[in-house]
Amino acid sequence: MQKEKRLHRWGQQAYLMRLLVRRNIKNQYYRSFIGVLWTVLNPLLNMLVMAFVFSSIFGRGEGMTLDYSIYLLSGNIIFSIMRTSTSGSLTCLVQQQDMLQKTKVPIGLFPTANVLSSLVTFGFSFIALLLVMVIRAAAGAYVFHWQIVLVVVLLPAVTLFSLGLSYFLSALYVFFRDLKHIYSVVLTLWTYLTPLFYTVETLKNDLAEKVMVFNPMYHYVTYFRDLLSGTIPGGTEHLIVYGFGLASFLIGYLFMSAVRNGIAAKL
Amino acid sequence: MKKAPHDENCVLEVHDVTMKFNKYAVGVDSLKELIVRAFKGDLKREKHVCLKHISFQINRGEAVAVIGRNGVGKSTLLKIVSGILKPTSGWARVYGRISPLLKLGAGFDGNATGMENIYLNAAIMGYTKKEIDEKLPEIIEFSELGDFIYSPVKTYSSGMLARLGFSIAISMEAEIMLIDEILAVGDVAFQKKCFEKLRQLRAKGLTFLIVSHGSAIKTLCDRGIWIERGRVMGDGPVAEIYDRYTKEMMKK
Repeated sequence: MQKEKRLHRWGQQAYLMRLLVRRNIKNQYYRSFIGVLWTVLNPLLNMLVMAFVFSSIFGRGEGMTLDYSIYLLSGNIIFSIMRTSTSGSLTCLVQQQDMLQKTKVPIGLFPTANVLSSLVTFGFSFIALLLVMVIRAAAGAYVFHWQIVLVVVLLPAVTLFSLGLSYFLSALYVFFRDLKHIYSVVLTLWTYLTPLFYTVETLKNDLAEKVMVFNPMYHYVTYFRDLLSGTIPGGTEHLIVYGFGLASFLIGYLFMSAVRNGIAAKL
Repeated sequence: MKKAPHDENCVLEVHDVTMKFNKYAVGVDSLKELIVRAFKGDLKREKHVCLKHISFQINRGEAVAVIGRNGVGKSTLLKIVSGILKPTSGWARVYGRISPLLKLGAGFDGNATGMENIYLNAAIMGYTKKEIDEKLPEIIEFSELGDFIYSPVKTYSSGMLARLGFSIAISMEAEIMLIDEILAVGDVAFQKKCFEKLRQLRAKGLTFLIVSHGSAIKTLCDRGIWIERGRVMGDGPVAEIYDRYTKEMMKK
């Protein structure tokens, strides 16, 4: 009886989650008449612009083991998982406040739905990446490696990291509404401090290289690029990648649990 | 939580509920303000007691109006009753499901169609796909939206929004209907229809908990609970309580 009830509740919450994810994805590309095709085109076009602007500056820089267009796109789509899930999650509880004031529903579902929809978007962007790789391979600038399938090892770590950050931010935003402006600045800064369109080696700065180690996104992006160029990252790199993910998840989850009653009172 | 002795007739029980808030003397709601004030040493926290030792029971089929001025803690009480907020001491228990009636168009996603919003809202309220599918024809019919149900909600007029919201809550037929100041919605004809429906549901034995200032509660409810300064000032037949409440308000 108890067990049946719990199963029923899980089923119901899974259904709600599916609806939320579908809504997020629809809203993301709402009104673009090519619809879901845009999810593939958007990262492609972005990559083209950036490749056009930056390839002569960074394209043949030191430490560039990948074709520049692939280097750009791969970094961006991994970074986007974190970016879209956190910026969407930030306001998600406040946006639902009319419902949350009146209904008892686990609030963690809302940021989780945001992270899941970013993963779906990543899936589409991944197709774009494969397209670029095929084109570059045809031009002789890239050789496919089987290690690309190991992206499934990386994704859970990025997901945990994004989940934790999303829990933390969505809960904090309930109390501090100016966080929106602060976080958008932080996010811009974070984008530039992560080697998305440059390599760490081109910085020619020892300090920068040392500080970079503390940037979780640097590890995620580098891990992915290693796979694309056919190397499997070592054991410590796995520890770091999952360490950051678990730490973020725990902090975010515990923070949200700790302030749950405060959120209910404040909304 | 303690296991309460459960009386068959009782659907909602509030036992000795006290709610205290720990809040800054001046409402701080931005990080910038928090930091500036922390530097100035201008951050006094004070305990604000919102509800003091509130107890009542609601039996199956009763329609209860909670009345009181703005800011006496009615909304907080509703949050505690629906289990969203944990009280500082005491407990509240509900034996059955709660269906909340929201403010005009609240909780809708503007870009989604009326149909999608029905599913989303009901799912947030805790209903499964099967349950929603069953109720769908009734919801659409009651809302009188016709083909508009397939248009994005942001194209709706405020009356249409209210209809949709009302139809969802009212058709789900939970044991307890939680109504917060929404009876003044839609045109006169639709209002009449709503009151008619509410009366039908009452006849079916559903329980109502209504928070309102309007005199409409006199016809819809049979019991009133008057809350003032965090305490229950009166609990009894709605007409009597409402008259006492309005008299008290006139004095000020």
